[in-house]
Amino acid sequence: MSNIIVAQNLTLSYERDEEIIKNASFFVRKGDFVFITGPSGSGKSTLLKSFYGNIKPQSGTLLMGGLDMSKIKKPKLQELRSHLGIVFQDYKLINEWTVERNVVLPLWIAGYSKEVQQTQAKRLLHHVKLSGKEHKYPLELSGGEQQRVGVARALAKNPFLILADEPTGNLDDYSSNVIWDLLENACQQLETTVVVVTHKIPSVFNIPYRHFTIDENGAIYEVH
Amino acid sequence: MKFIKQHISLIFPMVAILLGLEFFIAFDRTTKGYENSLRDNYAMLVVANDEMSIDDFKSWDSHVYKVTEIEKSKILNKVDSSLQATKDSNIHNKIPNFYSIKLNKYLNEQELERVKQNFLKSDKVKRVETFDTLHNSNYGLFSSIKLSFQTFIVFMTIIGFFLIIKQMEVWNFMHSQRMKVMDIFGASLFLRSKVLIVMGLIDAIISALIASGVFYIIQNVWIRGKHIAILEDNVDALFEFHDVFTLCLVSIVIVMVAVFLVVINVKEE
Repeated sequence: MSNIIVAQNLTLSYERDEEIIKNASFFVRKGDFVFITGPSGSGKSTLLKSFYGNIKPQSGTLLMGGLDMSKIKKPKLQELRSHLGIVFQDYKLINEWTVERNVVLPLWIAGYSKEVQQTQAKRLLHHVKLSGKEHKYPLELSGGEQQRVGVARALAKNPFLILADEPTGNLDDYSSNVIWDLLENACQQLETTVVVVTHKIPSVFNIPYRHFTIDENGAIYEVH
Repeated sequence: MKFIKQHISLIFPMVAILLGLEFFIAFDRTTKGYENSLRDNYAMLVVANDEMSIDDFKSWDSHVYKVTEIEKSKILNKVDSSLQATKDSNIHNKIPNFYSIKLNKYLNEQELERVKQNFLKSDKVKRVETFDTLHNSNYGLFSSIKLSFQTFIVFMTIIGFFLIIKQMEVWNFMHSQRMKVMDIFGASLFLRSKVLIVMGLIDAIISALIASGVFYIIQNVWIRGKHIAILEDNVDALFEFHDVFTLCLVSIVIVMVAVFLVVINVKEE
């Protein structure tokens, strides 16, 4: 199986700040489901941000789908991002757009036709159990529903990699279960690689997964 | 209501800036004629030992536009009519040559002095008279009117720009979240800013049309019916059809620069 993410001696830091991730080496294969856990402030979200180029490696190597993230230029980064599905704890929905428009954002960016967008939106909203809410606005939905819209958006373009930052952080059990089911299905049925940053791995999880943890010093270990 | 408010808050300062610009253009056009008549009615007097040509004067100063030699007989005549009557060729030969010099531009006091000094550098020139008292009073009046008008326009434009900066902050607040999300999902700069660009373009064109409309009304309704000679003489210069395109272009450039500044200032979280 090919590697989707390869990190070698990866060190991450924000400008002028101390190093957050230190000398991390790991790889993620196609089709892996990976949980990244660690105490608050250990750098879980920072690591995830580096995967979509929001933060550049300070030293070491980070390859995403074969692209060197320390040297990547904006057009290539845009192309890479258009093939990722990203889920945020704070949803990051566009509040002035309808649910349907939010869901098909990756398809709209890629230039898909209106018909394809509508069909895909209908299918995805059915999957996330939000049928009939196409024309609502995000602020008219509950937190759990907004996060399901976020997951539907992440799945819209069948990405090769889904990155999720605390996707069930503030959600009720029902919404959390729906989201875990969707991510499990994407990984199992579509062979999509899924990387989830979370403070707690769900107690019931139906597919094999890998578990990385970050300690207080920014070192990353795989838990077996 | 929200939609109208969003547009008005850009259109209002844009119209203020464009009205200022059009006032400037119109004032410049109408005063150009007056400036030219001041220039045409003004001449320097140069007294020279030798006979001079226009090329001699032009080589000393590039502002020289026309040179007329004043006939010696006329000068003698003005000095004393009895001298002319004697037709004394000796006197005739001894008096220097007088030249009336017209300039290609209406110059201020310092520039006139510079022209004078350029002429005096030549040994052939004995004396230069700039008649600066008359010149200065005309020029002073003209300049003060022009300056006070331009100050008003500059003030109006500055206020307009401050309002646009305020609007840019509003845009940033309203659109940054959307642009950040779109950036995360790989949208190009154009896609991210498309909404702002379209909105800005529409507002820019509406602003230019409003400013043009105001001047059209001033020209065709307000001035033409008033029968005030000084206004009616210059009414055609107040607003010309091609000004609509100038205003549109300026308006679009200002709005696009504002949009660009907002877009490049949206940083990823």
